[in-house]
This record gives sequence, C-alpha cells and structure tokens, in this order.
Amino acid sequence: MADKNNVLYVGIDLGTSRSAVSTANNQRHVIESYVGWPTDMVARKVLKKEVVIGKEAVDNRTMVDLHRPLERGLIKEGSEKDLTAVREILRHLLHLSGADGDREVRAVVGVPARAMQINKQQLRNTLIGEVDGLMIVSEPFAVAYGLEALMHSLIIDSGAGTTDFCIMLGRMPTEDDQRTLTNAGDSIDANLFSLLAERHPQAQITEFMVRQWKEEHGFVGNEQKPVRVTVPMRGRPQEIDITAELKSASESIVDPIVETMRDLLPHVEPEFQEKVRNNVILSGGTSQLPGLRKKIQDGLEELGGGKVQTVKDPIFAGSDGCLAIALDAADEDWDRLSSQDT
Amino acid sequence: MSENRHIKKQILRQTVAENVAIREGHRPPRPAPVAKQPPKRRLLPWLALAPLPVLALLLLWWLLPSRQPSPPSSVPVAAPAVETTSGPVDESTATSFPAPAPIDARALPLEVRRVVVDPGHGGHDSGTVTVGGPELLEKDLALDIGLRLRDRLVEAEFDVIMTRGVDRFISLRERAAIANTSRADLFISIHLNWIVTREVRGVETYYLGPTDDPRLVALARRENQDSGYSLADMRSLLDGIYADVRQDESRQLAQRVQRSLLRAMLRHDPDLDDRGVKTAPFVVLTATEMPAILAEVSCLSNREEAERLTRPQYRDSIADALFRGIQSYADAVNSIEEKGS
Repeated sequence: MADKNNVLYVGIDLGTSRSAVSTANNQRHVIESYVGWPTDMVARKVLKKEVVIGKEAVDNRTMVDLHRPLERGLIKEGSEKDLTAVREILRHLLHLSGADGDREVRAVVGVPARAMQINKQQLRNTLIGEVDGLMIVSEPFAVAYGLEALMHSLIIDSGAGTTDFCIMLGRMPTEDDQRTLTNAGDSIDANLFSLLAERHPQAQITEFMVRQWKEEHGFVGNEQKPVRVTVPMRGRPQEIDITAELKSASESIVDPIVETMRDLLPHVEPEFQEKVRNNVILSGGTSQLPGLRKKIQDGLEELGGGKVQTVKDPIFAGSDGCLAIALDAADEDWDRLSSQDT
Repeated sequence: MSENRHIKKQILRQTVAENVAIREGHRPPRPAPVAKQPPKRRLLPWLALAPLPVLALLLLWWLLPSRQPSPPSSVPVAAPAVETTSGPVDESTATSFPAPAPIDARALPLEVRRVVVDPGHGGHDSGTVTVGGPELLEKDLALDIGLRLRDRLVEAEFDVIMTRGVDRFISLRERAAIANTSRADLFISIHLNWIVTREVRGVETYYLGPTDDPRLVALARRENQDSGYSLADMRSLLDGIYADVRQDESRQLAQRVQRSLLRAMLRHDPDLDDRGVKTAPFVVLTATEMPAILAEVSCLSNREEAERLTRPQYRDSIADALFRGIQSYADAVNSIEEKGS
C-alpha cells in the first residue's frame, strides 16, 4: 500500500485546445495543447530548448514544427509525432504539478464522453512510464463528480473539440446517457474563418486570429456593440467589422446542442425529467460564450422549461472533477490500475 | 448526504472496473451496443500488408473525380464502372510510380472467421426514407436486416461484430475503427438505395474503387456524410488502405453477395434489376483494412419494394441472401487454405 503522503494525486482535463491540471497540493495550471519542435539549428539556438509546449510553442510558431496533437479531445490517429506530442503535454502538466520522480503519481484523465475504447487504450499506452496509476473517465462525468451533481442532472461540457452531454441518474452513465457533438469551439472558429474569407477574400487571416477574436468578442443572442478588428489586406492593415460573422459563427453550435439536449431528455424516466431539466449544468471553455447559457435554457421551453447554470470555473471544472475521483479512489483500486505493466 | 456518498462509492467502483478492463484490453463492463464480442481467434494477416504510399498516390488520383461537382448534363458521362477489376491508369503516373504486381491471395494463409456487420446510418442520421406508402427509414431496415444476418452468421459459427446493435448514430470513422481494431476478416455494410426514377428497383453491391458516374458520386457523397473524417485525414486514409489483394478479394466477395442477393430477390420480383457489382469511393470501404463491401440490398424509392420491406419474411430473405453470399466466399477462401496446407 502506498504512503498517501508520498503520492501526488492529479486530475487532468486533456483538451483539444487547452489542457488543465488540478493537484491535491492545490496547484492548478492550464496550458494550450500545442507542442513545437525547433525546425533547425538556428531555432534551437534561439529557443534554447529541444521542445516547447503551450503558449511558448504558439508564440514561436514560425520557428517550430507546431503540433496540436488532439482532435476532438483525442489523440489524432496514425502519427507517432502526435503520440509524442501528447506525451510531452502530459509530461509538462505533471512537471507543473510538482511531479518530481520521487513521489508516486496517480492520475485521472478526462476524455470526451463517447471516446472509443481504442482511444482510451491509446492514451493509456501513451502514459506508460509517466504516471504510476491511471484512470480514464468521461469528461462530463468528471465534471458531475466534482460538483457532486450525480443525481438528476444533465452536464453539457463544451470545449474546443467536442461538446459532451451526460445525464447523471445516480449511477454510472451508460452509452445511452451520453452524447458527443463536434459542434464546439473549433467548429465556431472554422465557421468564422470561412465566413470572413468569403466576405473579405483579400484579408490575411489565420486560425489563431479567429480563435482570439472568438474568445475576446464571441457572443450568442442580441447584438452587442460592433466588433471591429484590424487585419492585413495584402499586407496593409485595415479595420473590418466582424460582428455579423462572429454572431453567426458563435450561434452555429446552439441548434445542435439544443437538439441533442431535447433528444436526450425524453430518455430519462418520466418522473425525473423535470428534475433533470432544472439541473442542467454547462461547463467547458466554450460555455463562457456570452448568451449561450440563456439560448440553451430557452431551448428547454419546448419540453416544459428548465434551468441551465454555468459552472463557476469552467476551465478547471473537468480537472477538479478528475482530481476528486483520484482522491476518492481507494488504495486497492489504484493498485489494480498501475500503468507500469499493461 | 450519506446517499450521495453511497452513490459516489458505487459509481467509483464501476469507474475502476471499467478502467481495469481498459488496462487489460477488454471491453469495459458496461452495456455496449456492439454485440456478440467474439473469442480471440486466429486472424487474417491483412494488417501485415504494409501501407503502400505509392499506391496511395494512384488512389488519390482515382478518387479525385468523386471530389468534383457533378458534371453538367451536356457533358458526356462515362458508364458506371461495373465489374471493374482495376482502375484506370494514368500513363505518366504509371511511369513515375509503377504499381507493384498484384499479390495472389493464394500466397496468404487466408481464413474467414470474423465478420463485421455494419447496418448503415442510425440515430439522427435516418438515411433514405420512403415517400408515400408506409414510412420506412433506411436506418431501421438496415439494422433489422443486419441483426438477422448476425443470427445466421453466429449459427454458422462465424464470430460476428456489429458496428451498431441499436438505433444510434455512429460515424463512419468509428465503424471503420471497430472493424480494424477487432481485426475482422470481412466487413459488410448494409444500405438501402434511393433511385430518382421511382419505377427502378434492384440490388447492387459495391467495393472500393473509382467512379466517374455522377449518380454514384452523389450516392457516395450521401453515404459519406458525417464520416467523422476531415480533409486532414485524407493522407492517413490513403496511406492505410491499398493492396491489390484486398481489392481483388473485395470484388470476389461483392460478386458472390450480389449473385446471391439477385437469385433470392428474383423469386419475389421477377422484374428486379441486376444493377451489378460496382466500384465507388465510399469512406467506410476506404478506411477498413479487410475485404469490404457495401450492399444496397433494396430500393426505398420504389413503392412496391417498400411494401415488400414491411414484411419480416422479405427482410429475412435478404439477410439470408447476404449470408449465403458471405458463406460462399468464405467456403472458397477456406478451401484455398485447405488445398494449400
């Protein structure tokens, strides 16, 4: 049995866009899920590193072979480089958490609700040697666990790669209780990108620019003050109004989310449906879009109305939930989950 | 409070059990729609066929026409690639990237044991729907026929894996992953057709290959919706798939299934069209790593056919025909092995 004082418990939300970690020693960190390898000798000299992670990788993207190894919250298929990149991200998160090699590390990692068995095994294999014990759980389930919302609730966890749904009825959610949509932050970015490219074919826009605009100004519902940004047009900076495109792109995820919610709720036992409708919890980075919560709540009207709440800390709700699971699991459970010899 | 603690404890126990299963490479102990998890058996060595990037380039060239919009009606259209055994060869490409000689299937220790049955569509993706007459959804019929086929295959001692056993959406990517990770020997995707000319009804069976026929391009586009693949995946899709032996085996399987379907269906409708064995770039055939076919077992656009499909006996006879086609192919393959051993 491990000495609890000599164990580091960590909860990790491995996200397509950002990854967060919460630890039992009260550390919380969030990084962008990017990894970069210097492209040549000059880049290596400038960066003074063999690999750069997170914001550092994004900021130095002209000098590095930049990888975003996760797609829809899971490791992309087929490329050894993507697997290595995921390992680097997890290593970095563990390093930030204070994992120093002396202490045993027990980690719970959240993945999209409908991740396939093969994805989970791939992730497990990637973490061999990095942690001592590993559990992989559905992300919205982790959120529910962390919030103690295990009875009669619907968790909607909207991140960059996926929007995950999970109905909690006091038992382990089955496949029928969960859904995963790819309508999430990335799909908003892709929409915004194509709308702007169509309207301003001369504008030089990148995925990083649209993501930043969405995060700073994205909104759902009534128009707010106009959003104007400066972009190079054939090299010359020019200010353009992106309000309409931003609204349209941001709202593109609303209907799929509402439809999926309406599709899931009738499967709940009839006597509990109202309770669940009044306990819809919205989490994840994309839940921060102003107006999204209200639109989803309006979508419940058709089923008799309900209440949608946003979690206080959407960035860490997933990793905090994972940490809660890690701490609650018994030593003998962790002994069965050793990641050293699969 | 204590109730909540009890629930947490119970859920945690299940979470741990699920993770222990993942760790040991088993399917998690929770209700899963993938039915009939088979015992481990010896498998066809399709995965040993190394990806051939050179052929991937050739395939990319093949598939390109299907990515273009349909030509205007004034443009002459090539006939469907019925019974195609090999694709068109671009002289220049062929000079630069000579394709390796086809591998003779007899060189490999083939055996058909494990079959993936893939009922098309599901969940929010209904597939085609009848217009007028009984309202039938392609997703429901494909599942019904798939389950009937499963029962027959199990009875004949095949290992069977269903990509879905209930009405739920499952992306084409996930379907292919199920087939590939289970290391199946054959992949059979079941669909029902929709043909603009309502009088037409018939059966047709596809295996992977190119087509210039705008109808097939449209059909492939329809069936490839919600694939779960992005353009960025194209390279890995192309890298992973091509080996002549797989295409040749897929063609043979398609021929046997088509023959069997036709023979059975003609008993119900002597005017049924033999729409033949064809090639088309369906994603689900591209991403699977074993001989794979997509059978359009009936036409929902035809009213008489739709009426017939309401009868369980008719659906049963379709499943039976599919089974006979698969059995006939398996017998042929297994006999090669026996002779060779």
